[in-house]
Amino acid sequence: MKRFCLILIAALGGWSVPAQTNVTDALPAPRGPKLITSDSADFDLGRHQATYRGRVHVSDPQMNLTCERLVADVPQAGGHVNHIVAQTNVMIDFLDDKGHTNHATGDMAVYTYSEQGGTTNETVTLTGGAKVENEQGWLTGEPIVWDRQNNHLSALNQRMIYRQNFGGPAADTNPAAAGTNPPVRHPTNSPPATVENTDTPPR
Amino acid sequence: MWLAVVAAAVHAQEGRATDFITTEYYEAPHQQQIKSILSGAEAVRKPGRPIVIKQFKLQTYDLDGKTNLVVAGPECFYDEKAGTANSAGPLQVQNGDGSFRVTGEGFLWRQTNFSLTISNQVRTVAENGAKIDLKP
Repeated sequence: MKRFCLILIAALGGWSVPAQTNVTDALPAPRGPKLITSDSADFDLGRHQATYRGRVHVSDPQMNLTCERLVADVPQAGGHVNHIVAQTNVMIDFLDDKGHTNHATGDMAVYTYSEQGGTTNETVTLTGGAKVENEQGWLTGEPIVWDRQNNHLSALNQRMIYRQNFGGPAADTNPAAAGTNPPVRHPTNSPPATVENTDTPPR
Repeated sequence: MWLAVVAAAVHAQEGRATDFITTEYYEAPHQQQIKSILSGAEAVRKPGRPIVIKQFKLQTYDLDGKTNLVVAGPECFYDEKAGTANSAGPLQVQNGDGSFRVTGEGFLWRQTNFSLTISNQVRTVAENGAKIDLKP
């Protein structure tokens, strides 16, 4: 069972962040405007590029990002910000389809947006000690790619820690208050602990 | 190189003028193409000092003639020789269609580098176009 779960997760791209059912049929929610704040910024008008420095914060309705330096394309009229590079102490918090909060960290995050043949591609690629953590566990990889259109994570060279007691009380924490329903657990043959996937391919 | 079309009063060593405007062109072979226009509701020149421009507006253009960025604010100091404009005050910046808008405090515009530095409290709003987030 344990092995099956890990293989299944790996086959799905390494992480069960998104709702895996019919994601390709779902229309993503319209993206709101991006807000970028920083201490200072340099605009290279010849390159159509803005470099933000110091306490950089990017937010849109789906995510928040902080870093120390960020380089973004400045779109021309009718265009779109299609390339952003965030560097140094990059932290991203984003919500998945189920409303779970994910916390991602890395040395660098590269956002790309493109449209080809009627298909929109929008990804964030994390590198440099890349890690994504949520209540299910955490994932490291080099790189970790977040497909924002399908809200899906994948990773190369992945290492995954999966909390099998997801939904239950964590060790060394206070017990649930009396009079409440216990959390629903799915039966498993594995102990209520964590499982580490060392990226060994299944035989 | 700044090819200035400046109100006559500002050409004098000292003076005040309204409807200030100065135009920069790209270098050859694109010397017919406007690179930037700096304008203002009022300009004050004093000997040995930058021109003080009230209600300034700096419009920059790409080689294809499309608007690059538009910078505006209540006041700036324009140094003709250095090819710079700066201010410690607030400014607003936007791209051609206003889908990318920036505000901040304090700036330095370097004509030779074709660059703009905003010193403090930078806030950018990047709107997404109506078509871009909808799948076909």
